[in-house]
Amino acid sequence: MESSDAALVARVLHGEVNAYSALVSRYRDKYARYAVHMLGNREDAEEALQDAFTRAYRSLARCEDPERFGAWLFRILVNRCRTSGARRVRRGQTFVHDETALLNASEEHPAEQTMWREEIERALGELSADQREAFLLKYVEELGYDEMAEITGVGVSALKMRVMRACDRLRVLLREVHSA
Amino acid sequence: MPDWGRNTLELMVQELQHPVRLDDSFDRRVMVRVRRIYAERRHRGIIRWLGAAASISRRPAWAAALAAGVVAVVSFGVTRERKPAIPAGQAIPVQFVLVAPEAHSVAVVGDFNNWGLGDTALVAENHNGVWSVSAPVHTGVHRYAFLVNGKQWVADPTAPRAADDDFGQPSSALVVEASTQ
Repeated sequence: MESSDAALVARVLHGEVNAYSALVSRYRDKYARYAVHMLGNREDAEEALQDAFTRAYRSLARCEDPERFGAWLFRILVNRCRTSGARRVRRGQTFVHDETALLNASEEHPAEQTMWREEIERALGELSADQREAFLLKYVEELGYDEMAEITGVGVSALKMRVMRACDRLRVLLREVHSA
Repeated sequence: MPDWGRNTLELMVQELQHPVRLDDSFDRRVMVRVRRIYAERRHRGIIRWLGAAASISRRPAWAAALAAGVVAVVSFGVTRERKPAIPAGQAIPVQFVLVAPEAHSVAVVGDFNNWGLGDTALVAENHNGVWSVSAPVHTGVHRYAFLVNGKQWVADPTAPRAADDDFGQPSSALVVEASTQ
């Protein structure tokens, strides 16, 4: 039977460091998706995710509700992505599409699928970081606004506004691509 | 290409919800970092307790603090009383005090004791509702908090609050400076 998050956290806190690998396996793919879409490339996403797991381990004793370790870790990851995104802006890098994800997406109609995927990534990259974050949390990760507020520290009204603006912008961007 | 008759955003979301798979090398890289931290902590813990400093005198203002409710005081005993030259990187005994008459237990957790990880929390002694514990803390900037009744995270009400550091728990800032004397 699979151990609960709380049981694994307890084992780690009692010095069984290898128990942490079960938590890494449990959440890595789930949260990699958010990081890849938020940062736009796999390298930065993996670095942010590694950093989140490491920071979570360092401060595991501060996880107030170990049963919700995943939610706590996700909050750390969202912050790591913000930091990584801001650093990238300072370095003058642009949002680039995730080539590995593009390759993975080539299923039934590889060329068309890849093109569609590129359009999506490009449109996401056109959003401001705040709007992209809100859109991904709401529609891709399917969180409620209260959860989003808890994770981001931003008020519900502001988040609704960001999501609405993101959707409006994405519709325009995707329509432009389609009509071009 | 998508069926443009359907809602474009729905199609976009469907595409974005495809899983992103990382391979096992990711787990290995994370665990290398984690094991390194674990080893460093064990090493630091041994060094810290081998060189634990002597306890310091208690503050006379406890009675007043009791009357004020929950109040915490952090004092630097050695620097106030003997003023030795303390080089950077050396541990200085710091007294942590929290007035919490209703508490059943109080411990100090911070980055200097690995946030209590693996039973490293500093358990405070109760003196009529005034909880205190002394511990050597290395020079530098630290974060810490009081853990009341084993579960309630309380920032030191008399110390500056540390900036939010992702974890959703209040903590206080502690600056231990090297003496130039």
